[in-house]
Amino acid sequence: MQNNRKEHLYKILVIGDLGVGKTSIIKRYVHQTYSTNYRATIGVDFALKVLNWDSETVRLQLWDIAGQERFGNMTRVYYREAMGAFIVFDVTRPTTFEAVSKWKEDLDSKLTLSNGQSIATVLLANKCDQKRDFLTNNSLKMDQYCKENGFVGWFETSARENININEAANFLVKHIIASENDILKSVVPDTISPQLNSDKEMTCSYWLSLD
Amino acid sequence: MIDCWWQYSFMQPNHIRVCVRMSSKGDAHQFSGLYMIIKAVFSLLSEVGVEQAVLHRQHSLPHRPVIPLVAHMVDQNTSGTPAMTEREASRLDKFRQVLAGPNTDLEELRKLSWSGISRQVRPITWKLLSGYLPANAERRESTLQRKRQEYFGFIEQYYDSRNDEHHQDTYRQIHIDIPRTNPLIPLFQQASVQEIFERILFIWAIRHPASGYVQGINDLVTPFFVVYVFEYIEEEVENFNVSSLQEEVLRNIEADSFWCMSKLLDGIQDNYTFAQPGIQRKVKALEELVSRIDGMVHRHMQQYEVEYLQFAFRWMNNLLMRELPLRCTIRLWDTYQAEPEGFSHFHLYVCAAFLVRWRKEILEEKDFQGLMIMLQNLPTMHWGNEEVSVLLAEAYRLKFAFADAPNHYKR
Repeated sequence: MQNNRKEHLYKILVIGDLGVGKTSIIKRYVHQTYSTNYRATIGVDFALKVLNWDSETVRLQLWDIAGQERFGNMTRVYYREAMGAFIVFDVTRPTTFEAVSKWKEDLDSKLTLSNGQSIATVLLANKCDQKRDFLTNNSLKMDQYCKENGFVGWFETSARENININEAANFLVKHIIASENDILKSVVPDTISPQLNSDKEMTCSYWLSLD
Repeated sequence: MIDCWWQYSFMQPNHIRVCVRMSSKGDAHQFSGLYMIIKAVFSLLSEVGVEQAVLHRQHSLPHRPVIPLVAHMVDQNTSGTPAMTEREASRLDKFRQVLAGPNTDLEELRKLSWSGISRQVRPITWKLLSGYLPANAERRESTLQRKRQEYFGFIEQYYDSRNDEHHQDTYRQIHIDIPRTNPLIPLFQQASVQEIFERILFIWAIRHPASGYVQGINDLVTPFFVVYVFEYIEEEVENFNVSSLQEEVLRNIEADSFWCMSKLLDGIQDNYTFAQPGIQRKVKALEELVSRIDGMVHRHMQQYEVEYLQFAFRWMNNLLMRELPLRCTIRLWDTYQAEPEGFSHFHLYVCAAFLVRWRKEILEEKDFQGLMIMLQNLPTMHWGNEEVSVLLAEAYRLKFAFADAPNHYKR
């Protein structure tokens, strides 16, 4: 028994309006490639990313969900058992940012962790290489927005230029692990996880100092 | 109880021995139905070439030359090049005979089209089978003129409203999806082609407010457009520059594509209305069907918690267009237009046959991730007419065996 590594499997949703770059972000993250040739996602596309996380293995099931939601309750089927989510918007199209709160509400109304909390969700302001930010140049406002809407943080990303994709994913995984520990703690009250609070603060200041 | 089996010997490649055993006199009346299936399957196999079809069933894909993703787009066998075989020439002849009279016998045309339409006659045949053109040859020209005028009347009337508040969402979505429709085929990157697609989809969407524009419908214009461009050119279509066509010709192609796509969508509109009930129903039906025809595959999916919706939604929403190269879709649609309720009903059996076609690969995957990634990236890039024909024959068999006796075969 050489391989004693602990394995984690996390399902992560990637949602947001159509054409904001969800598929591109995932392809960049999983295959380290970028192309302008992706077709519109129909239903859901599925990808897998394996990370070495300290001495453990983390498998991320990435669910790339079509931006045009016409199926009524289908997202409920797709959301099931997810542990984390990215909500993506396109910094060059304000309407895609307006839709963010709708996606967040949809997510929270259909999915909660066993302790009643909503799942860790990170906001991605994608296509930041196109420098037509209408909003993200005001990072304090974005921080405020995240607090008010229950996001654990936000990142300016570019799938094309490979900006902040890995950082955002690591950040989300940290929060997923933290919330998992939270749940464990609530199930077994005398389990001690001393890292938890300091860890949260650390990641917090990390995203605040992005700009 | 009827048992039926068939034998094939490589020593006698032109002979197939079919054995039928009936256990009671009462079975005799079922025999004629069985005979029809056998006949249909073998006439299809003779299209494919029986040797190849049998090989495909026994082994995995033999070593084949690499066919580029979209080259020889419409098909490989009936391209009208000097390489046309005798069999293809005789088929084309039959088509021309059926199409020659003052009144086309649509039933005859359907029968002939079921096993594939020759490239040279495909545009007219599709227009006839879809109901866009009347069977009466004399009325065709005036019908075309009227319909084309009608379409461009819609454009004049509605297209300027695309930036109005109540239509801009629709137009924006179409506008985002058009450049990523067939992104690998240069034909579709031409500005004038993209504008054609935008007009077709926008007009269709606002004239069908119960569904509006739904992602995936953009793909469904493509086969019509490609086939109708072919009506006017000799060369390969994938790199064809449409600006070399006369403006009027391009307008005709646009209007014809619009109307034929509309006819197709009329038959499957509940796939795209709110909550997509047609798709929900068909995915459920697919699951039910697979559980009866291949319990092992079905249980395997259940064991690893793969839900049919997760992979088959796209199969239904885009009529397998995302799973097959475009040339195969065009061949598939020959049959869908020949088959009654081809797009809405027969497609279900094609999906079932398609899934079971991968049973070996499915059973080899031992976790959810592996299964999903495999099912969403099925290796069909090299598929051509032969593979589609085998798939269709199997779908036909399933339809016959399972359509009218839903519980008879339940294990």
